[in-house]
Amino acid sequence: MKKNVRIAWLYPDLMSTYGDRGNVIALQKRCQWRGIPSEIVPVTLETNVSVLRTTDIIFMGGAQDRQQKLAGEDFLKRKGPVVKEMIEKGTPALFVCAAYQFVGKYYKPYQGDPIPGAGIWDLFTVHPGDQAKRLIGNTVAEIINPPELAGTTIVGFENHGGRTHLGSGMLPLAKVIRGNGNNGQDGYEGATYKNTIGSYFHGPLLPKNPKIADWLISKVAGALAPLDDRLEQQANAAVRSL
Amino acid sequence: MGLIDRLVVVATKFVSLLSTSFGLGAGETWPGEIALRLRPDIASTLARSLSDGVILIAGTNGKTTTTLIVKTILEHIGDTVVHNASGANLLNGIVSSFIRNSDWLGRITADVGIFEVDENSLPILLRVMAPKRLLLLNLFRDQLDRYGEVDVIAEKWEKAIKKLPKSTTVILNSDDPGIAAIGRSVPGNMVFFGLNKPKEYLKVPEHATDSTFCPNCGKRLVYDGIYYSHIGIWRCPSCKNKRPTPSIHTWPSPLPGLYNEYNTLAAVALAKSLDLGDTEIRKALHGFSPAFGRQEEIEVGRRQVKLFLSKNPAGFNASLRTVLEMGAKEFLIVLNDRIPDGRDVSWIWDVDFEMIPKSARIVVSGDRVYDIATRMKYAGHTVKTEPDLSAALSASNGKLYVLATYSAMLEVRKILKGRKIL
Repeated sequence: MKKNVRIAWLYPDLMSTYGDRGNVIALQKRCQWRGIPSEIVPVTLETNVSVLRTTDIIFMGGAQDRQQKLAGEDFLKRKGPVVKEMIEKGTPALFVCAAYQFVGKYYKPYQGDPIPGAGIWDLFTVHPGDQAKRLIGNTVAEIINPPELAGTTIVGFENHGGRTHLGSGMLPLAKVIRGNGNNGQDGYEGATYKNTIGSYFHGPLLPKNPKIADWLISKVAGALAPLDDRLEQQANAAVRSL
Repeated sequence: MGLIDRLVVVATKFVSLLSTSFGLGAGETWPGEIALRLRPDIASTLARSLSDGVILIAGTNGKTTTTLIVKTILEHIGDTVVHNASGANLLNGIVSSFIRNSDWLGRITADVGIFEVDENSLPILLRVMAPKRLLLLNLFRDQLDRYGEVDVIAEKWEKAIKKLPKSTTVILNSDDPGIAAIGRSVPGNMVFFGLNKPKEYLKVPEHATDSTFCPNCGKRLVYDGIYYSHIGIWRCPSCKNKRPTPSIHTWPSPLPGLYNEYNTLAAVALAKSLDLGDTEIRKALHGFSPAFGRQEEIEVGRRQVKLFLSKNPAGFNASLRTVLEMGAKEFLIVLNDRIPDGRDVSWIWDVDFEMIPKSARIVVSGDRVYDIATRMKYAGHTVKTEPDLSAALSASNGKLYVLATYSAMLEVRKILKGRKIL
């Protein structure tokens, strides 16, 4: 019997805005299609951290402001430290949009004091002011880190006001081909650290970029049998040719 | 209305007539745009010229159908109505509808204006015209790249509503917590509509919910019953805020689908607030036919095609549930990503396509055909991927149920009817 892959979905009722569910569906289905038993474990405000500790892959997605505030308090105090511990031990994780900002050190809004992040990753985000353009649109990028994924063309849709800057402890995930990426300036998109990936790409990220999904799963289940990804590749190619 | 305003109306009306007769466009928005450039205040002047005032209807889903129901009722009792075409629901579209309805002396002869209003445009509209009635249907996540977040819209609405005169009666959905909460800022009278129908409660909540947290204290809401998305019988265990008791909660809907029961309740609540009697309303709704692309049925040869405009997760789930209740076996799902559809197609992952039985025949098409095909694959369906929409439309044997985004629906109708409608 193969190991049951337990996918933690952090705050599915609070941090799930831009079709984020697609990422957990992709993880689960791609396990299922290979005969690897898997299940989605919702982890929200009321969930005990002991449940979180039993999971194998972590996913956390985007949020609206009000919801992010609710989830934020809980994450900083309770779930965040456990997630940090798990990441350090090699648990694979994916953080998209608001979650990507939130695992960093802080988020500086255009008014008021910086909002502390969970400090799991060495990055920070700055909102450049209400006159600054939101970065919105279809995106294409080429992965440069981690090495196993380098050269893969990823696609998505970005929609963020904050500009994220990576610290020295982080590696950028990809080089932007179209769109803005982390901050619209340095030409990089996303970040990676140990077995974790962060990105501004929703769309959602994993279904049209199945290699990232398989990379996360392989960290738990080992070498994976190939799947027929022609449809996913066509969806990926369609965004590249937009 | 002053002479200059009337001149502007006549001039734009004339240009618009020329343009439509030469086939340059239907003139749904730009005559109003020109008039607004010439006379920035023209919208409020036009609104004031109506003897019975203005009715505004806003919400993510159901605007067009509700507006049509209200219009049907008021026309039945003999009112002359100005109303805007579906989709032309920004300020320029509303001014255009006035221009279309004016006489050649630039006078507005209608009694009452009934307008559906775009979510982002409602605060602007409320600044230029104080409606006699304002009806707020619901707020769901929809085109986040264009509209922004649901909470932000609700906040902007509430701010604008605070400044309304006491003469505006606001009609609110008691079952949408975010809409009901706006009641705290209404200066004048309020009417609530909601549904009392426990047998329609969902057994499993949908994924695409936006507002399950208390708008007052932020704690998680408890639902005694959910009808769809976040719409239901809600209460806050923490601050005791709860669903207001609706004054209208039962009315036979002329159209199938739970969401149409809400549209009907909303329209009836509005009609009753104008002192119309039950008998009159019932008579008016006898034989009501749906709006463009909303459960519209088109015969193509011997085949029947039924159209369901489906443009966001909550609306899509509602359409799916309705067509499944109708016994649909053949589906065509068309996904476009043009400006009116929203450029971001991520939302399809929030739709519960898993509810379609595996025995159904599904064809997918549209600008983003491979996105929707991938979504269906991950929902466990084997589908036919057909990028050519005409071919996709002729692929069915029996009754075909078409679920399509806005611009996709226009294309479908153009192919089926052989001409452009809007």
